[in-house]
Amino acid sequence: MKRAATNLVVGAVLLVFGSFLWMLASTPSADAIPAFSRKYQTSCSTCHSNYPELNDFGEAFKKNGFKFPKDDDQFVKEPPVLLGAKAQKEAFPKALYPGEIPGSIPIGFRYSGNFNWNAKQPAPLQAAGFTPQTDLFVPNTLTIIGAGSFGQNFAFWIDDDLSAAGTGAGGGLGDGYLRYNDLGHVFKLPKNSLNVRFGQFELDLPFSQARTIYPSAYDIYGETAVAQPAPAAGQTVFQTTNNPFIMGTPQRGIEFGGYPNNGNFTWSVALVDGTNSNYGLGQSIFARNTKDVYIRVSQKFNLERDAASRNDVQAAGPTGPRDHTSIRVGGFYYAGTNELNYGGSQFGFLGVISEPFYRAGGDIRFKYRNLELFGLGMVGHDNNHSVDTTAMTISTAPAVTFTGGFAGANYWVYPWLIGYMRYDFVNSPTDFANGVSQYRTRNRFSPGFQILVRANIKVIGEYQYHWGMPYTDPITNNTLYFRPNAFVGGIDYVF
Amino acid sequence: MNRMLRVFAVLVVAGVAFGTQSWAGDIKGKVTAQGMKSSENIVVYVDAVAGKKFDAPADHVVVDQKKMTFVPHVSVVQQGATVDFLNSDPVGHNVYWPSISGNKKLAHNMGTWPQGQKKPFQFMDLGAASLLCNVHPEMSGYVVVVPTPYFAVTDKDGNYTIKNVPPGHYTILTWSEEGKPTTQAVDVTAATTTLDITVKK
Repeated sequence: MKRAATNLVVGAVLLVFGSFLWMLASTPSADAIPAFSRKYQTSCSTCHSNYPELNDFGEAFKKNGFKFPKDDDQFVKEPPVLLGAKAQKEAFPKALYPGEIPGSIPIGFRYSGNFNWNAKQPAPLQAAGFTPQTDLFVPNTLTIIGAGSFGQNFAFWIDDDLSAAGTGAGGGLGDGYLRYNDLGHVFKLPKNSLNVRFGQFELDLPFSQARTIYPSAYDIYGETAVAQPAPAAGQTVFQTTNNPFIMGTPQRGIEFGGYPNNGNFTWSVALVDGTNSNYGLGQSIFARNTKDVYIRVSQKFNLERDAASRNDVQAAGPTGPRDHTSIRVGGFYYAGTNELNYGGSQFGFLGVISEPFYRAGGDIRFKYRNLELFGLGMVGHDNNHSVDTTAMTISTAPAVTFTGGFAGANYWVYPWLIGYMRYDFVNSPTDFANGVSQYRTRNRFSPGFQILVRANIKVIGEYQYHWGMPYTDPITNNTLYFRPNAFVGGIDYVF
Repeated sequence: MNRMLRVFAVLVVAGVAFGTQSWAGDIKGKVTAQGMKSSENIVVYVDAVAGKKFDAPADHVVVDQKKMTFVPHVSVVQQGATVDFLNSDPVGHNVYWPSISGNKKLAHNMGTWPQGQKKPFQFMDLGAASLLCNVHPEMSGYVVVVPTPYFAVTDKDGNYTIKNVPPGHYTILTWSEEGKPTTQAVDVTAATTTLDITVKK
């Protein structure tokens, strides 16, 4: 039986590999891709070296409000619909200020589905939550993406997972925002040094989670601060911290930001709703009276020697334009307050419990020709309380803290073949005490590859070598450890 | 004495030119494309003439990169001609060809250069160079290098005219992006010779 299963897996791997070869053997062509591709009649690779990660041109395009950095009008092959003649600017405020909408509905779709091979779970862990050894095309996600500009200064973005986890299961809104570019011109500031966006958006993270090339999320972005597991029956002393906030999820709010100095310096300050949790229930509340603040700054040092190449959108390489050789360093800080016990819902003798928290970190990215190296470090700190329901007292408890980050490398062997490796680590004494991991630090090493079969079709593969998870042997009662290693293969396409 | 010699030389050159003009004919015709989208941009040219050598032309041919397209889409040049590749776009481009008529040893990458500047390349090898840009893969153009100065590119209706072909017996060849090459013999006289050609996919 075991042999049959092994043969099935080997057969499936060979089939997938054979399909890769077949796809690679046919002539490459790059055409069918989403909204901007249609608008400018250009390939994905104009903005992406490996979608959805942006290259230097894509960054400049995005920063310019989804427009070409220079002479955008020249390149638009699908003219917009004018919502008023441009000359109406002169008639303002006695007339509507003229705007425009894209010539056709700027919609694209993205599908991604993964094939998962998981290490065989020990029986006690299967009882707690079964994970099959092989799982085809999970998650199975269809995303709709709409983006563009409404004329000179307004840009918009909407992406929504129409279906996540297959069978039409509900997805959700990712980003949905409107941005006003170059608000700073009112104050005679350099171009794009002050912009504002409203709506729901991913924070200005050093490395985007929403538009990452990797099939697995950055572990540190997903780290939550939990002081103790769910309370046990008869327990009378509780530690309260249970903060569901994670860096990777989109937030609702307002963000001011800019990219002066030719886009090399970036800054952003966002005021956002944050997230909250009802203590012990793990139920998140996505609004509260207080608001959180996120700040990010970064500086890119362009290391191109030739001045003309350095100041251009892309560097002039001997075999064509490429990303600049550069080092980018940055820092970020998120401060918020987690509020518990609304209306005495958990502890009737107490009012609202406020627990300030912060996340802070630094990041670095180095680009040289076909190589990209990157890393991020972060600390988390949540104020914590101890509640004694017998004595009906509340006191300050040791803060819940964690540190962690990731480091990795991407290398373009060919424009269509990218190899990478990533190391994730999270050091959380509280998680360790709560039996989440074998050691205080949870490590994960994830080597992988990505093949752009076409500019809009991708095949991915990633092996994940995990930290040990403790579990109790039901017979001996000993603590044993299990590494939930996995291989993820997948397909991803946009159109 | 020198002045007399110069006048004599001018008269000789003018006479030769006039004579050539008077004796040369045109080859005209229409190319019909079968199974292809269009009969535009098909190269029609006179094949190498035995015992006849043509000097490389001094004038450069310009291929522009404009609005992320190669303009013109198909250029035909005589062997030894120099093509100036111009970048009129405010975005970075490059030009490379992975082969000339399938010969990958003749692949060449021109690198990158800024808006308004051009880079020359002298084409010494016969065949078709497929022009590409490595950051905008949708861009496509061709430089077709032919052995004689007698060539033409069809217009959108498939019409072509090869001018000033000296009288004689020639082989006419075609090149097209999608179609198979064709070969046809033709006798050119002082008058216009008509030659209609069919190119199949």
